[in-house]
Amino acid sequence: MSLFFISLLIIASGGVLSPFFKHNFTTMKFIAVSTMIVGSIGGIIDSGSKLMSQSATINSCDYTASLTYLKSFTLSFQLDSLSAFFLVIIFAISLMASFYSFHYMDKPERSLGTAVNYLFFSLLVASMCLVVTASNMIAFMISWEMMSLSSFFLVIYNYKSKENRRAGYLYFIFSHVGAMFILSAFGVLYALTGDFDLSHSFASAVSPISNALANLSENQKVLIFILAFIGFGSKAGIFPFHVWLPHAHPAASSHISAVMSGVMIKTGIYGIIRIYSLLNFSSPVMGANQLIIGNSQFIGHIVIVAGVISGILGVVYALGQNDMKRLLAYSSMENIGIILIALGIGMIGVSSGNTAMVIIGFSGGFLHILNHSIFKSLLFMGAGVVLHKTGSRSIDALGGLIKNMRITGTTFLIGSLAISGLPPFNGFVSEFFIYMGGFKGVGMTAITVNDASVAGFAVNQFAMSRLTFGTTAFGIVSLAVIGGLALACFTKVVGVVFQGEPRTRAAEGVNEKGVAMLVPMVVFALLCLAIGVFPELPVLMSMNAISSLNISNIGTESGGASVIEITTKMIGMAGTISGAALLFISMILSVLLLRNFAYKNKPVTTSGTWGCGFTKPTVKMQYTGTSYAASIVEFFRPFAPIHEDHSPVKGRMAGRSHYQSHVNDIAELYMDRVTLKPVLFLFDKLHWIQHGDIHLYIGYILLAIVVAMFFV
Amino acid sequence: MIESLLLWVIGIITAPFFSAVILKVKAFFGGKKGPPIFINYYTLMKLLQKGSVYSTSTTFIFKLGPVISLGAALTALMFLPIFGHRPIFSFEGDIIFVLYLLGLGRFFTIAAAMDTASPFEGMGAAREAFFPIICEATMFMILILFYKLTGHLSLVNYFEGSHPVYLWDMAGTSMVFIVIALFIVLLTENSRVPVDDPATHLELTMIHEVMVLDHSGPDLAFIELGSFTKLFFYSTMISSLILPFQREGIFSPYSLLLGFLAIIVVYGCVGIMESIVARYKMDKVQKFILTSFALAFFATVITMEFIK
Amino acid sequence: MLYSVDTVLSFALLASLFALGSSRLPGLIKIVGFQGIVVSMVPIFIEHNITSSAVTFYMFTMTIRGIIIPLAIYLLIKKIAIRREVQPIIGYHASLFAGLMLIVASSIINHKLALPATTNSVLLMPTAITILVTGMFILMARRNAIAMVLGYLMMENGIYLVGTTFSMGTHHIVEFGILLDVLAGVMIMAIMLENMKQKFDDVDTAFLSELKE
Repeated sequence: MSLFFISLLIIASGGVLSPFFKHNFTTMKFIAVSTMIVGSIGGIIDSGSKLMSQSATINSCDYTASLTYLKSFTLSFQLDSLSAFFLVIIFAISLMASFYSFHYMDKPERSLGTAVNYLFFSLLVASMCLVVTASNMIAFMISWEMMSLSSFFLVIYNYKSKENRRAGYLYFIFSHVGAMFILSAFGVLYALTGDFDLSHSFASAVSPISNALANLSENQKVLIFILAFIGFGSKAGIFPFHVWLPHAHPAASSHISAVMSGVMIKTGIYGIIRIYSLLNFSSPVMGANQLIIGNSQFIGHIVIVAGVISGILGVVYALGQNDMKRLLAYSSMENIGIILIALGIGMIGVSSGNTAMVIIGFSGGFLHILNHSIFKSLLFMGAGVVLHKTGSRSIDALGGLIKNMRITGTTFLIGSLAISGLPPFNGFVSEFFIYMGGFKGVGMTAITVNDASVAGFAVNQFAMSRLTFGTTAFGIVSLAVIGGLALACFTKVVGVVFQGEPRTRAAEGVNEKGVAMLVPMVVFALLCLAIGVFPELPVLMSMNAISSLNISNIGTESGGASVIEITTKMIGMAGTISGAALLFISMILSVLLLRNFAYKNKPVTTSGTWGCGFTKPTVKMQYTGTSYAASIVEFFRPFAPIHEDHSPVKGRMAGRSHYQSHVNDIAELYMDRVTLKPVLFLFDKLHWIQHGDIHLYIGYILLAIVVAMFFV
Repeated sequence: MIESLLLWVIGIITAPFFSAVILKVKAFFGGKKGPPIFINYYTLMKLLQKGSVYSTSTTFIFKLGPVISLGAALTALMFLPIFGHRPIFSFEGDIIFVLYLLGLGRFFTIAAAMDTASPFEGMGAAREAFFPIICEATMFMILILFYKLTGHLSLVNYFEGSHPVYLWDMAGTSMVFIVIALFIVLLTENSRVPVDDPATHLELTMIHEVMVLDHSGPDLAFIELGSFTKLFFYSTMISSLILPFQREGIFSPYSLLLGFLAIIVVYGCVGIMESIVARYKMDKVQKFILTSFALAFFATVITMEFIK
Repeated sequence: MLYSVDTVLSFALLASLFALGSSRLPGLIKIVGFQGIVVSMVPIFIEHNITSSAVTFYMFTMTIRGIIIPLAIYLLIKKIAIRREVQPIIGYHASLFAGLMLIVASSIINHKLALPATTNSVLLMPTAITILVTGMFILMARRNAIAMVLGYLMMENGIYLVGTTFSMGTHHIVEFGILLDVLAGVMIMAIMLENMKQKFDDVDTAFLSELKE
């Protein structure tokens, strides 16, 4: 048995054991956390070594494990570089999250609840690992359902609050509708190929499965992909399937939110990539039989457009939120959008035979998956500390926290800089690569064909290159806008929550006790900086990850640059980023030195903030987060309608009044109007079927059997 | 390399001088004599000699703000060809790095403003966070056009030597629109009229000036120097477009003079703009900046018509 | 390849973009007038043999299109319109984006149509289509009657450009006829507007719905 399964077993055993120790709170926590840490370290060692032993051009799967149950179906698991990449992230984030939870879960009176939380946490981690290693559909679906269910129980951890139950319910529905779509995609695939196999490496040229896959028509492939895209999209939080996300994340406890946002929603992305590579869209374009542009050419464009919509709307909704964790949840949606833009660029590269776009796009996307899991976990943990210490998630109720929570504040600041994609932090590196990939698409020109018999091909090629230009340009500009909006969004959080003066009692006199909560945040913050300054290793990791996508043959066939060339170029780019970041840091250091010099022997005094002539300022006068974001949200009004509620002023002496406003999510708004209402209406109309008469019900059953007989 | 470094230093040293040109132009239009042309140096010297007063609400971020915004502007200038001469550093994609670096400077300016707990500074910060978003879209639209024309993604390939001439050759009319769009970006990013009035007396209507209200002494000097450098950065970009320096890699007094002249033209335009246009209402500002995006988009579309 | 006429045309295109973004009637009139002047200059840049009669004709159209009609409308709003806003149904930002999309769309349509290149200009046909459609867009998206008249004028500019594409040299008579029609149309609208102003004290076309049975 390999180290991987041993690690999973350790993790799961810790979770299973913890309810038995519910009488001793600290022991229980210690057991759960330590098993998780040991297991995760084992997993990281295993998958990390697998990942780094890859080279970008050779794709080897490491090991497979399968077991057949009752001779009826087989569960098989396999680890290739794509799985290994995701495993490293899953294990690393889970390790930190469980470490964090040691001081975060500090309610001995809820000992059993905490134990159950650990049980499902460990199950969630184990099932996520199984999802990314599953190599046939059955194993995949079982692990997928395990993952959905265990995270559902984690969401309703605080089941006593009605809001949380509703969040859990919403999540349950969405994950199962999503699973239904995935299942239907698998069903279609199985119906057409007759095989449950999911793993790519099996589909080598000799095996019959690959033939079956190769015989799929363009439209069948596109259908399967779209079904899977919707299904996985509902887990990943792609607009408009993201409705559960902003409800579920605030409901779960913070370390769980970190895991869910940092890695669990990425399993949706993993599914999209896996299906994409399985369907083998990477067939060379320049063959003689490929003159007609198939529908699969448009997949990359669809993915980019979906990414842009999720990205921009995600960050706009995030700006409009007042709940810190909800804001972070929407920001996850934004980052999923960025990842999709990157993947879309890669897919366009595949369909047009542009190796540079493929490698830079995909690995930029993978790098962003890694980066996002780091800084988003960091931010959720920071929000968790704030919630834990102040008891409030409301941004406008807080303020000035950085003075008493130096470590939390500073690490949160670093996380915010990283998520806004600013140098010299890690978010910049991945966005830089995505830009580079996008610009490769912008610069793409139509391939000139001199053969007169394929004149139509030239015209099509021209139209395609124009379309590619349009889509990638759209992606690039949107990425710039997303970056700017993210900056606004996170200056809002940092500025209102951590800076200024406390706005309410809750934010006063806080502390940040609990070393276990601070250590992971510091580690993540250092990682953000380290990846931003020395990105070579993560870039190598993400390039190794895409080696199992079977796309290494593209460039060589269409006469483009070879994979090795591009790979070297990317490492070179990572080097230049590193140089530029170092240059900037040294510049900052020298300016700091200059500043010290300028302040030598100078009087430095403190006083109140200049109130522009007003002498009695109060903390209530500070700019709130809502007003900070108002003008930007207003700009996007058609997509983010602001709902305001206040009683009108009556009479000369106005009595007590109230005002509340929130930004509506149009997906949520229309889910009600377009989906729920018609369905309810339909079922209302079918109400007559239900009579309450038992004989009639038996009649129905009889009828159903008879009808079924006709078809069987 | 030495020449590039020298030019970088010259750029930073002369940046306050050029900003004073704007004041002179405004004074001319107002029929006044105006402050001395070296006013900004006097101000900087005065500020550097003073101490500071810090608000009790502030933290280390407040002190970090000026340092980072100055550092970002100085680093950005290292990548820009000044007077058409090769910059100190350049790599493929440096323009993205530079734009994001300026974004980092903005982040810290905003954070420093939010640190003071002042409602006015918060208001300024909200505007500072909003308007540059559209500018960024414009800049990337321009980049897309430039990339399509040159196949490169680095400031050197757009602004060095005869490269601007090549751009004009490839897309004549579009470049007119690009220059106008860049000028609007300059006005927005540097908080000039009609987006923001640096000389206004009412805190409520300011954007950039209100954000630095609480800074004093050397900190304020750093901020001022940073904003002079930033303005110099954008002006140099535009000046190499409106007056392409054709000589490749030759560093002569002639090209230096020509470069100075071109930059003074740009600053003069800013001054004229400030003299003849009133600042816009806040809700009109968005439309003004959106115009720059529309221009850049438009230029790209019509250029795509030409490239077959 | 860049032709001098394309430079001129891109300014006409730009004018239609600005027309979508402008919120005040006087500004809109100036933009449409400017566009009229630019559009009437286009044939001078295209035609190879310029005769004196042709030049006279162009000057004449330019005067009507760029000066007389805008001036007439300008005087009209001085006289009747209290509200100087164009009263948009679709907002300015959305209109601006719509305009950009229209430019892209007309460039695509131009490729689809693949008209025989009668002139040596790349932008002529896309510009013509864009101006035509933008004029229609203004008709659709503005409630103020005078803004609608201006949209109508803009459509006419577009039609003129389309005419330039199709028949070089012989189109003068037809063009002139159209122009006179427009002139007459504007005059009729002026009379109608004045009546409307007397009746409703405003030139908001929303009031016209009161006139139905």
